[in-house]
Amino acid sequence: MSLGTQHDGQGGGVHSEVREVVTVAERIRGAIETVIEGKPEVLRVTLTVLLAEGHLLIEDVPGVGKTMLAKALGRAVDCSVQRVQFTPDLLPSDITGVSIYHQDRHEFEFNPGPVFANIVLGDEINRASPKTQSALLECMEERQVSADGRTRPLERPFMVVATQNPGDMEGTYALPEAQRDRFMARVSVGYPAPQDELDMIDSHSAGSPLDALAPVTSAAQLRALADRVCEVHVAPGMRRYVVDLINATRTAPELHLGASPRATLHLVRAARAHAALDGRHYVVPDDVQALAVPVLAHRLLPGPEARMERLTPEQIVSRIVARLPVPGPR
Amino acid sequence: MRALMPLATFVCLALAVPLLAPLVSGGTWWVPGLVLMAAAAGTSALYRLTGRTPAPVPLLQVLVVLLLVTPLFAAHTAPLGVIPTEASLGYLVQVFEQGVASINDGVVPVSANSGVTFVIALTFAVFLIVADFLAVTARCAGMVGGLLLILMAVPLVVDPGGLALWQALWCAAGYVALLAVETWMRRRAWGAPVPSPVPGDRALGGMRRAGTAALAGAAAVLMAVTLPTAVPSLRTDAFYDLADGNHPGFGENVVRTTHPLVSMRRELNSDSDSTVLTYQTEAENPDYLRTYVLNRFDGENWTMDPVDASGENVAGDDLPLPTGWDTEAPGGTTTTQVSFSSSAPRQEFLPLPYWARSVDVSGQWHVDEDSHTVFTTGRPPTGLSFTVESNRRAPGTGDLEEAGSPHSLPTDHLELPRDVDPSVQDLTDSLTEDTGSAYERAVAIQDHFADFSYDLRPPEVPAGSDPLTHFLFEDRIGYCEQFAGAMALMARQAGIPARVAVGYTQGERAHGDRWVVTSGDAHAWPELYFEGSGWVRFEPTPSSGGGQGSASAPEHTDPSGGEGLDGDSGSPSPSPSESPSSPEGSEAPEEETQGPDEESAPPGADEDLGTEAGGARTDSSGGPDLSWLVHAGGVLTALLLLALPALVRAWVRAARRSALARAPGPAAHAAWREVRDTCVDLGLPWDLSESPRATAARLELPAEARGALWRLALAEESARYAPEPVADGKPREDLRTVHAALAASAGRSTRLRAAVLPRSLVPWKRPRPEPLPAT
Repeated sequence: MSLGTQHDGQGGGVHSEVREVVTVAERIRGAIETVIEGKPEVLRVTLTVLLAEGHLLIEDVPGVGKTMLAKALGRAVDCSVQRVQFTPDLLPSDITGVSIYHQDRHEFEFNPGPVFANIVLGDEINRASPKTQSALLECMEERQVSADGRTRPLERPFMVVATQNPGDMEGTYALPEAQRDRFMARVSVGYPAPQDELDMIDSHSAGSPLDALAPVTSAAQLRALADRVCEVHVAPGMRRYVVDLINATRTAPELHLGASPRATLHLVRAARAHAALDGRHYVVPDDVQALAVPVLAHRLLPGPEARMERLTPEQIVSRIVARLPVPGPR
Repeated sequence: MRALMPLATFVCLALAVPLLAPLVSGGTWWVPGLVLMAAAAGTSALYRLTGRTPAPVPLLQVLVVLLLVTPLFAAHTAPLGVIPTEASLGYLVQVFEQGVASINDGVVPVSANSGVTFVIALTFAVFLIVADFLAVTARCAGMVGGLLLILMAVPLVVDPGGLALWQALWCAAGYVALLAVETWMRRRAWGAPVPSPVPGDRALGGMRRAGTAALAGAAAVLMAVTLPTAVPSLRTDAFYDLADGNHPGFGENVVRTTHPLVSMRRELNSDSDSTVLTYQTEAENPDYLRTYVLNRFDGENWTMDPVDASGENVAGDDLPLPTGWDTEAPGGTTTTQVSFSSSAPRQEFLPLPYWARSVDVSGQWHVDEDSHTVFTTGRPPTGLSFTVESNRRAPGTGDLEEAGSPHSLPTDHLELPRDVDPSVQDLTDSLTEDTGSAYERAVAIQDHFADFSYDLRPPEVPAGSDPLTHFLFEDRIGYCEQFAGAMALMARQAGIPARVAVGYTQGERAHGDRWVVTSGDAHAWPELYFEGSGWVRFEPTPSSGGGQGSASAPEHTDPSGGEGLDGDSGSPSPSPSESPSSPEGSEAPEEETQGPDEESAPPGADEDLGTEAGGARTDSSGGPDLSWLVHAGGVLTALLLLALPALVRAWVRAARRSALARAPGPAAHAAWREVRDTCVDLGLPWDLSESPRATAARLELPAEARGALWRLALAEESARYAPEPVADGKPREDLRTVHAALAASAGRSTRLRAAVLPRSLVPWKRPRPEPLPAT
């Protein structure tokens, strides 16, 4: 099985510029697949977001392996991993950290919170109060923590992997649009196929396979790969294609709220990572098309007509993609 | 923004209002129309701002227009000037009817009374509602052009002055503005255009668009100039209203007939020489059948005077004696039974021998005393039959010679427009210099036409020159219309009352006493008035083989008295100089013209062919038969035309093949375009939102061809999106493999169609971006 949009192995060879990206990504994918089986699409988006230095939102019903996926990702990379279980009584300082007064030294000492890590797992993020949710906002976007008048930068790579239950579940505070917009992509895991579920019974009965998972890469290597991804070529036509796509979501009659300029940046960055994962040093429309739904759908608000027709944002994005001509000579 | 299209539609139609300016005179007739249109457009714009379904817009517009009509046109009938009552409705209907009546009866320009204004305003309101529906609701702004064409057609048909350039330009500007707004809205629906990062690209794009527009404009102008020459045109003088002279302005007594000369031309020029009528008569040598009389020359054409339809039904009754006769001619009456062919067009005027004593015909028919024509104001049935009793006076040359000055005519039939070319008068004077009596002058004029040529399709008169002088002095070629018209004109100049009669020659004897008149026998001839003898027929048109086949000069037009028989006139001779009216030649003796079927040979269908046609016929029968060459040429041309699309496609393919040798980028583009066009030709779907690799993955081909297709797709992909396009593989071979595999995947008939009629050559069959999202 392949990571990219290659078809029957005919999608061209791996370019030397991105060979390291492909090898490392293959290793991570192999490691995670020992825990989560039969979800290549989800893994592809997860790796894309990791390499594009974005944040990932995993949304699904309980028990399908959201946390497992996040934990496996944390294990596969040899870096600091912190986990926050969001509950309604969680306070902002529980995330960012707290200053404690030392009586002997007569000074405050900052006790960093769980956000000071390379990979932060925010479990069931929509169970926390809006106040706590928004504490995460600054960290995610600016990659720094401001507390007690001091700003502390967060170390690269920094990735928030948040899981949440669908909005209509009990005891949830829906994430506001502003916060959803900060996640580069949203995926849902979905139920496994029957065969995968059978395999899962075997592998999980002996004990958690997570324990056997050894790191396959380091934080330093991830930083280097992320830098490499930034060099992936985006042709002028491709830039225009992305902007046309974003613009179409803004003018589509079915949509009440279109994608933000931040979404444009996220889409281009993700497309670069996607291209590199596919072994290319340039972005093609297929990268954008494959990422349009995960990157854009969670930011859009359907209008009343779309709601009446029961059109989901995913369907609307797919329609726009199917309608938009790819760049090329006419 | 939603309100923009309705407003653009309004502007477009408002700019078309000046089209009617030359047709309506005086005042502010256009104001109510503009007000109604503005109200309807405003209604549409406001409603559309709400974003609801546009279905009720036309209904709302109709309501608004109806509400506004009362204060605009019937304010005095309504309380407060606004609220419509039953009285105002009745008043409006009355105003409308008055408007229709004044438009129907008036002469351009119609004076703008409230009725006319009302009709115009309502028309524009209806047009705006339709245009709004087409342009805004149905999103086909182009269709509004049809409405504009209707508006343009009005001045073109009604006004002899036609359309001024500025009016057409205004109208076109409005239309272009509407189309521009629509296009702009459509583009906007896709979001703001992204400025190209390459400097100068924007200017280049603009230049390209301007180039496309210029090309399209040039093609349209070219077609507008060339196409009309290929299709028959509508002559504005082709239809003719003859109002009752006694009751001008009343509709029911109007004869609406085709212009006599126009219908005659049509009959003469029709390729099928169809039978118009047959008749049965006791006469050995029947006379011409007169249908119309044209007694007014307008400087260009002879036209009819209005006929008098006030008299009673004359069917079955005795008709009045013709002008200039004091008694019936001796020799009794002849009965003729005429039946129109059922395929012949209806005729409001009956073709009758002169003088028709009585006509037995069903229906309401009237006689015009002066011209002695019988006509109906109703709609005559096709295949009409009637019986006519006629009485014929054959004036001797002596009677004509001694005729006194014409004093019993109600009008003198001598008036001519002032602008007749003076050279015509000089010609008449020189012809009649040495003559004494009016009769000699007439004969001299008739003889002048002896060496003219007869041709049903005379050479085109150069623009700017007078058709009459061109006929008389330049080419001297024409047919009965020119001959008769010119002679009547010159006779008037020579002081002889004259007019032109239109009808049919006696036709051909079928068998016994039955005669057949075909459309080729349609004819026009001059009638000159001699006191004591009345209106007398002359015949300047050459007859027999080289001229009007069944025409014959009457005996009385030869001063020598018709004593000898001259063989020339009867034999089918192509030379027009030997026409029967030439002085040394020939009266057409009655014995001979009686039986054209026995002696002068050409069958009916050929009778009206000109000299060239006659010559060609002799050639084809005598010389070697080269018609196969023509057939072969035709077949070859047809084959070439059939193969044209395939040839063009092959040329395109070859051009792309040669492009494969160029730099990797253009080579990859050329190869991929060829793959695309092959798919389009074969009817395979081609999606513009698919990238090359997605297309390669979708097309199902055998393994080898699949590899080739992937190589082409990846080369195209790198040419489009990579920093440096890479060339690998052999595009020429790959292209051939892919082409063969694609063709093999299609059926035989599809392949054939792709070869003969490649769809990729048809712009609208090529893949295009899908219609835009709604806004």
